[in-house]
Amino acid sequence: MTTGTTTKTGAGAAGPRALARQRRRQSAVRFWKRYRTHRAGLVGLVGLALFALVALTAPLTVGTDVSSVTGAPGRPMESPSAEFWLGTDRFGRDLLGLLVWGSRVSLLVGLLAAALSVAIGTTVGVTAGHFKGAYATVLMRITDWFLVMPTLVLAIALATVLPRSLGTVVLAIGVTSWPTTARLVRAQTLAVESRPYIERAKALGGGHWHVMSRHVLPNVMPLVLAQTTLMISSSVLAEATLAFLGVSDPTVLSWGGLLQDAREAGAVSSGNWWYLVPPGIAIAVVALAFTLCGRAVESVLNPRLGVGR
Amino acid sequence: MSTREQHSRARRLLAAAAAALTVSAGLAPHQAVAADGDKVLTVAVAQSVDSLSPFLAQRLLSTSIHRLMYEYLTNYDPGDAHAVPALATEWKSSPDKLTWTYTIRSGTKWSDGQRVTAEDAAWTFQKMMTDEGAATANGSFVGNFREVTAPSPTELVIRLKKPQATMTALDVPIVPKHVWEKVGDFSEFNNDKDFPVVGNGPFILTDYKPDSYVRLEANKDFWRGAPKFDELVFRYYKDQDAAVAALRKGEVSFVAGSPSLTPAQADSLKGEKNIHVNDAPGRRFYALATNPGARARNGEKFGDGHPSLLDERVRHALFRAVDRETIIDRVFQGHAVRGEGYIPPRFSTYFWKPAAGQELSYDPAEAGRLLDQAGYRKNGDGKRLGKDGKPITYRVLCHATDPNDKAIGQYLQEWWGELGIGVRLDCLDNVTDPWLAGTYDLAFDGWSVNPDPDFVLSIHTCAALPATPKDTGATDNFICDKRYDELYARQLAEYDPAKRADLVKQMQSRLYDTGYMNVMAYPNAVEAYRTDHIASITTMPEKAGNIYGQDGYWSWWSATPADSDDSAGDSGSAGVVIGLAAGGAVLVAAGAFFALRRRATAEDRE
Repeated sequence: MTTGTTTKTGAGAAGPRALARQRRRQSAVRFWKRYRTHRAGLVGLVGLALFALVALTAPLTVGTDVSSVTGAPGRPMESPSAEFWLGTDRFGRDLLGLLVWGSRVSLLVGLLAAALSVAIGTTVGVTAGHFKGAYATVLMRITDWFLVMPTLVLAIALATVLPRSLGTVVLAIGVTSWPTTARLVRAQTLAVESRPYIERAKALGGGHWHVMSRHVLPNVMPLVLAQTTLMISSSVLAEATLAFLGVSDPTVLSWGGLLQDAREAGAVSSGNWWYLVPPGIAIAVVALAFTLCGRAVESVLNPRLGVGR
Repeated sequence: MSTREQHSRARRLLAAAAAALTVSAGLAPHQAVAADGDKVLTVAVAQSVDSLSPFLAQRLLSTSIHRLMYEYLTNYDPGDAHAVPALATEWKSSPDKLTWTYTIRSGTKWSDGQRVTAEDAAWTFQKMMTDEGAATANGSFVGNFREVTAPSPTELVIRLKKPQATMTALDVPIVPKHVWEKVGDFSEFNNDKDFPVVGNGPFILTDYKPDSYVRLEANKDFWRGAPKFDELVFRYYKDQDAAVAALRKGEVSFVAGSPSLTPAQADSLKGEKNIHVNDAPGRRFYALATNPGARARNGEKFGDGHPSLLDERVRHALFRAVDRETIIDRVFQGHAVRGEGYIPPRFSTYFWKPAAGQELSYDPAEAGRLLDQAGYRKNGDGKRLGKDGKPITYRVLCHATDPNDKAIGQYLQEWWGELGIGVRLDCLDNVTDPWLAGTYDLAFDGWSVNPDPDFVLSIHTCAALPATPKDTGATDNFICDKRYDELYARQLAEYDPAKRADLVKQMQSRLYDTGYMNVMAYPNAVEAYRTDHIASITTMPEKAGNIYGQDGYWSWWSATPADSDDSAGDSGSAGVVIGLAAGGAVLVAAGAFFALRRRATAEDRE
């Protein structure tokens, strides 16, 4: 989306809905055409599709009882074999099945935490950029304060104080990682608000809400979208870190939790690589896939480049 | 001293850092043999010191160190744990069993040259009797003392209010009066400022750095004979994996089995050259404790334990749904013995197991029937409802640092889930606060048991309850049972060993029937040491026993160094080379990565 199209939206408010729909389809096609030119982005997208497929179909492929400890099929800590391709964990559960099942929690927490973080960041950024004055100063100092706080330590502190559950982990990651988004969005908001059409909109009687939701938000959305994609990868990593440090619910199975189990069972010093390596690789690959996608989206939608063209 | 496993809060949070420590340890090897040829025995421990004052220390590591620093009146035989002479050479009781006379060993000296006399012992006990701060750790031993005197330098007389069966098992370090009488506040003084610390045990404490190490030097004048190693160092490793890696490299000679090595660690070390894994019956029990409704001695109730647990049938039902065989087989993988009574089978005199009809054996169907009888029936969703009409969900308190707690917690969740009872696993770094406040339903619990079981029995008496809800009592989990208390008082006053053992067994039977303490397992002590550093070391009991955390100083006092330990230096230098190479490779890779990235972003910027 460019400035031109947005202006048209404002001017052609009386136009038929079909026109808007058509324009949106066109911009989607244009977006996809440009996205296709980024090979790394495509690789990331394919990887993401695969992981999403694995996570969504897990109840069909490995079944819900794969994480049951009483029904564990093997002996504890078996090495890889024809029956258990990645060996078994400390309870004798199939590690391949656990890896597949763990993707659900890791991805879910990653997505939710990123969504929460970006939602907070966007709200703070847009309002701070729009209202300026004392309100913005206070808000940005708070943002700065969160920015200099070590995120991990803050998240650990939060997760320790609150009851152990998935929601806590989502909250802990979400409320600690929003400041970068807030800063980015605020900068973009300031840039957008300085353009003449905003002044025109105000002159025509557009209120705060109208300006923020109809003019500013659509213009920062590309940035927010790219930021979300990037944020997911760091949220997946943060979830794994928290689970590895043991501050999440120990009965919920995730990749970080698997790593924590492996460490506690002494897999590191006894050389049981099959317990440690697969979840580690899975985390790395998912984080990489999201980063690649995010980068590609960013460079396609980068408003600075868009204005130039 | 019986010691609840205490876990450092920082341990888990810094696990990642500890993993990094394993890597960097390769760069700075601590050699087993110091440059001047002193024989050093380095022990990796997973616990930090709480206090070095014998009047305050309660952790296993600290009390073990006190065994090494100070002589006690008596010691335990490494073979069968009967009382043997230590500072006292002989002892006798009067016919009315209320006056005990100890003959103090003459001719031994404190490490500063002063003579050790009965006056030191008398002063130590008197201090504990008169100063609340000095009674923190071992006050239970002197609660029944009327008077302690030293008529001559070699004679100590203790007069009792009531007969006390533990008079030859007074686990109290005797400290030098001339040093300790200068101490002002015993509840604050940690004995860690002035080195070397004056003592008369087999080792003298020479250096201590909190959360890092404790260094002791051999006492060449020790009356039983000087230890064979010149120096003993307890090095603190937050992460057991890091300690195992250090053992493999020869940086430490011994890895303490407290907590035990995991089955995977033990199995992988068993195949290793020059490493011996000692897998022996432990002196701990591992139990599931029930909150019986926390209360204080003044009758005030507090905490919020689930009311359904006050019903004995519910407690029995819960334990009947716990399959101890699976726990031994899957969680401990054979490195433990199935739980029966309160005291581990290692203490054969006092070991008790339930009769066939009394045993709460694994039987989920019976458990369901018991719950139905108690009026906790399943609703349409298969969940059992409490008397308040809400589905029952128990909060199970677990140590976040103990992998076994978490593993068994997951089993409980499934076993009890089938009964229709929910489980919420509360794994915390610091379980003490909810524990003392009584804000839990069930909890994982474990204590080390001494040859004399008095202490672990005393923590379930009504007298151990806190005076008011604000106080801290010696109680374990607020059990207060009249019949148990009667038996406790009788065993404490019983001097006939056979009769006393019988009473102790009756107490265990009573405790078992109440269903408040359900012992699931007796974990083995699994520890490992390098045979190219330590040629021989005494276990306790001598046939199949533990080495770290003994009731006595036998292991470290008896350890003999191995002759050829030159390989440590070689592996150390190899470690340096490998470490440097790996570090260099990482730096080069990182440099290349950042260079590429810079270039990439530079292109992007155009």
